[in-house]
Amino acid sequence: MIRLDLMRRLSFLAVVSCAAFPVLAQEGEKTDAPKGDVEESKDEKKKDEEERWFAILNGDVYAGTGEVLRGATLLSKNGKIHSIGYDLYVPPDAKTVDAKGYRLYPGLVAISSQGLLGNASGDFEDTIDPFSFRMVLGLGTGITTTGAGSGAVKLKRFSVDGAVLNEKIFSTFSWSANNPRGKGELREKLVAASKFLREHREWQRKVKEEKDLPEPSKRGVDNNMLGVLQGEQTAKFVANDRDDLLGIARLAQEFGFRPVIEGCQEGWTVADELGRAGVRAIVTPRDRRTKDERQAHDGGASIENAAILHRAGVQVAITPATEGVDLGGLVGRDILHLPIEPGFAVRGGLSERAALESITIVPARLLGVSHRVGSLEVGKDCDVIVTDGDVLHYKTFVQWAVIDGKVVYDKEKELFYAHIRPRPEVAAVKKIDAGETPPVPVEPAEEGEKDEEKDGPEKKDGEKKDGDETPPKKDG
Amino acid sequence: MLRSHSFFIGVLLATPALAGGPIAIRVGRAETVAKGVVLNAVILVEDGKIVLIGEDLPVERGVPILDRPSWTVMPGLVSCYTRIGQDSEGGDDFSPDVKAVDELYPKSRDLRKVVEYGVTTLGIYPAGNGIPGIAAAVRPIGETVEEMVLDDSAYLKIVMRSDSASKKRLRDAFKKADEHDEKVKKAREKFDKDKDKKGKKEEKKEDKPEPKPEPKPEPKPEEKKVAQGEGQDADPESAQEPKAEAKTDKKADGFVPPAPDDKSRAFVEMRAGKLRALVTLAAASDWLHWLDAIGKEKIGFDVRLVLNQDSDMYYVFDKKTYDLEADGIGDRKIHAVVEPLLTFTPNTRRVRNLPMELARAGAKVCFTPRVDDLPNYKAWLAHVSELVGAGMSRETALRGLTLNPAEMLGVGDRVGSIEKGKDANLVFVDGDPFQPSTRIQAVMLDGRFVFGEVDL
Repeated sequence: MIRLDLMRRLSFLAVVSCAAFPVLAQEGEKTDAPKGDVEESKDEKKKDEEERWFAILNGDVYAGTGEVLRGATLLSKNGKIHSIGYDLYVPPDAKTVDAKGYRLYPGLVAISSQGLLGNASGDFEDTIDPFSFRMVLGLGTGITTTGAGSGAVKLKRFSVDGAVLNEKIFSTFSWSANNPRGKGELREKLVAASKFLREHREWQRKVKEEKDLPEPSKRGVDNNMLGVLQGEQTAKFVANDRDDLLGIARLAQEFGFRPVIEGCQEGWTVADELGRAGVRAIVTPRDRRTKDERQAHDGGASIENAAILHRAGVQVAITPATEGVDLGGLVGRDILHLPIEPGFAVRGGLSERAALESITIVPARLLGVSHRVGSLEVGKDCDVIVTDGDVLHYKTFVQWAVIDGKVVYDKEKELFYAHIRPRPEVAAVKKIDAGETPPVPVEPAEEGEKDEEKDGPEKKDGEKKDGDETPPKKDG
Repeated sequence: MLRSHSFFIGVLLATPALAGGPIAIRVGRAETVAKGVVLNAVILVEDGKIVLIGEDLPVERGVPILDRPSWTVMPGLVSCYTRIGQDSEGGDDFSPDVKAVDELYPKSRDLRKVVEYGVTTLGIYPAGNGIPGIAAAVRPIGETVEEMVLDDSAYLKIVMRSDSASKKRLRDAFKKADEHDEKVKKAREKFDKDKDKKGKKEEKKEDKPEPKPEPKPEPKPEEKKVAQGEGQDADPESAQEPKAEAKTDKKADGFVPPAPDDKSRAFVEMRAGKLRALVTLAAASDWLHWLDAIGKEKIGFDVRLVLNQDSDMYYVFDKKTYDLEADGIGDRKIHAVVEPLLTFTPNTRRVRNLPMELARAGAKVCFTPRVDDLPNYKAWLAHVSELVGAGMSRETALRGLTLNPAEMLGVGDRVGSIEKGKDANLVFVDGDPFQPSTRIQAVMLDGRFVFGEVDL
């Protein structure tokens, strides 16, 4: 429910009216002031008018950095978080959401997904579908940012501007015992790239004295690899076997980069090595594999994987088994169950805080956008979800999702979950049937007959629903 | 059917109507569209035009009267987005120089057939995807192309999809127009310089120190011919005016801007406000991507919304409902060409009347048949009446079949309503046009009965 906070508005008016007289008096005295000043103040006023304020009031703020502020207010200005705390002054023109009894979390970050941006592919700026129903489902899950292609895109509805956060972050490489030649080639690429970088640095140092010195040739040097070694891109591997994981960790240490390893199922057996090498892992706690019996060491999948990796200093991002929105097959393991998945890591010993981070700040870091999303901190984008309980709990629903300080999802207004445990204040006013509210307000002026027609079936539906409604859930 | 058509013409040859002499029509009800309903209406038609319309007007002795108190008359239907009777396949992705009028075949059987379904004006667009070319407003009947054409540059068709290719196509096109503007500017500078040398500086030039180059292309010879052909039909001033202005400009100044090349002409004309675009959109996101693609270009455009069962178009009807950052279609008050189709809210079985919602949001709805073939032309009125049954007002529905599409085609001052001075394109029905039992009894095109057995 968005509404202008009437009480606040009234109290503000009261304050203004009290203050009005002295202000007037001052203005009277100030009439001699130079014209320039007056114009400036007008400009300032104009700027003030353009400011877009938004506040979520009275919610328990789980900042995603460990802090919890109960019953606090989160205030956003022009899409960025302006302040979080108590007794904040909320400008009277701010749109507000009353989240009393609810929790605020940073919008979830899916490290990768399929279909949440509509049929968009490749050039997301030009192809994103901000009206896709799968985007609504994604927001209903709490996802506000997703990895897409090799970059990061927000699930920004109703607009095609400003959704793309990062166009290219990942370069994917392969390192597998099944492909020894590929391993050799990768090493060669790394050697060539680091040799070039070394020579280039040398050249940069010397060229100040000897101006004719030729720049070292870039020929035969892989651009992506250069990006990785210079820290502009992230090397991503898909690997699960212990030997492969060790190989990647050693390579990373040798050449000085921090790889992201997707899968990492046997990571728990070599967690220390991975941690030392600065590996970041993308894991799926519910993935299963059996141990290769020819292997003397530990092996196979473990429910403790995420917990052990985290303890060893590996940053763990968690993703469900499939990236798409599955309406059949692997239901319960698709991207709409992103917040459920870390629960299985918690079962294996991961702390709840790390579990939350595994679907917020860690994937944001991996995607190179943690300066904008992934936690609730002043100055970051106001991408917030308001839930009716612990975000990791299977029973919890996202009530509102906010992107850039604008509500883009309201459970009661969308088709999918509105009929399940409706919010008390909404349930009190109207029996909700998903999607029933006419999205276009009916104007009786033009066509009177229509309204009568529409009222009939609407009421009927409402009556039918009376019986099977569960009592509204109160606390968060 | 061709035979029966010529038969009627033959019969009418003997009547004074064809000779251009006056004829009075007295019907029970006239849906004028422009000025509401006139009961017991008398319409005086002369020389293919409506001379008078009013309630119970006295008819001069000697003027033949068609007296049908049980009939209703409405303006001839206008189908502004069609390829009925056209055969060619779509071509190149970017061919804004193609004109639909060039492939027009006057003897097409389908064109004559749609007249029987009440259609008296067609907007024929060129086939193809991307930017296939310029549509023409035509009469469905004529011996030659010249006789048929009302306006050979009705709109430029542009297909917009949410993909990079669509945007790139547009950006490239505007870039080409930029290049042309640059050329004109340089030519102008050169011209001014030469003039200065000659010492023939005129005052007029100082009035516009930096003349926005008005890149008026030389009217093609065929265009001129068409205009002449239309001459006796009193071609509206609006079409002639800019040309005349350009001419006087030329005289005053002597500067002849270089003509734009074929690929850039349409976009140069669009920027100058002389040509509108019709943008085909298939999903709500296409609208936002379209606005994004044109950016700050100030071009006039209307939209063609392809409705299907699960259309999500309602998201962009107005800015307010979904708090859009960009304008909605209705906010722009533009024409929107849609099929008369009831759709569902996506993923549900909840029926929506999107054309009605569109009209309420402020857009000017124009109907096109559900499918561009004869059976759907035949059922066109019935399909629209389904929307009326689902809540659309009769006025909106009628206007969407007549005046709105006529205006969209740029011939709204000639056809689309029953008004004094307009072409006598009339459809006579034997009841409420939105009742399924109603049949079309007669159709008049430019003052001649081209369908129906009418004896005076």
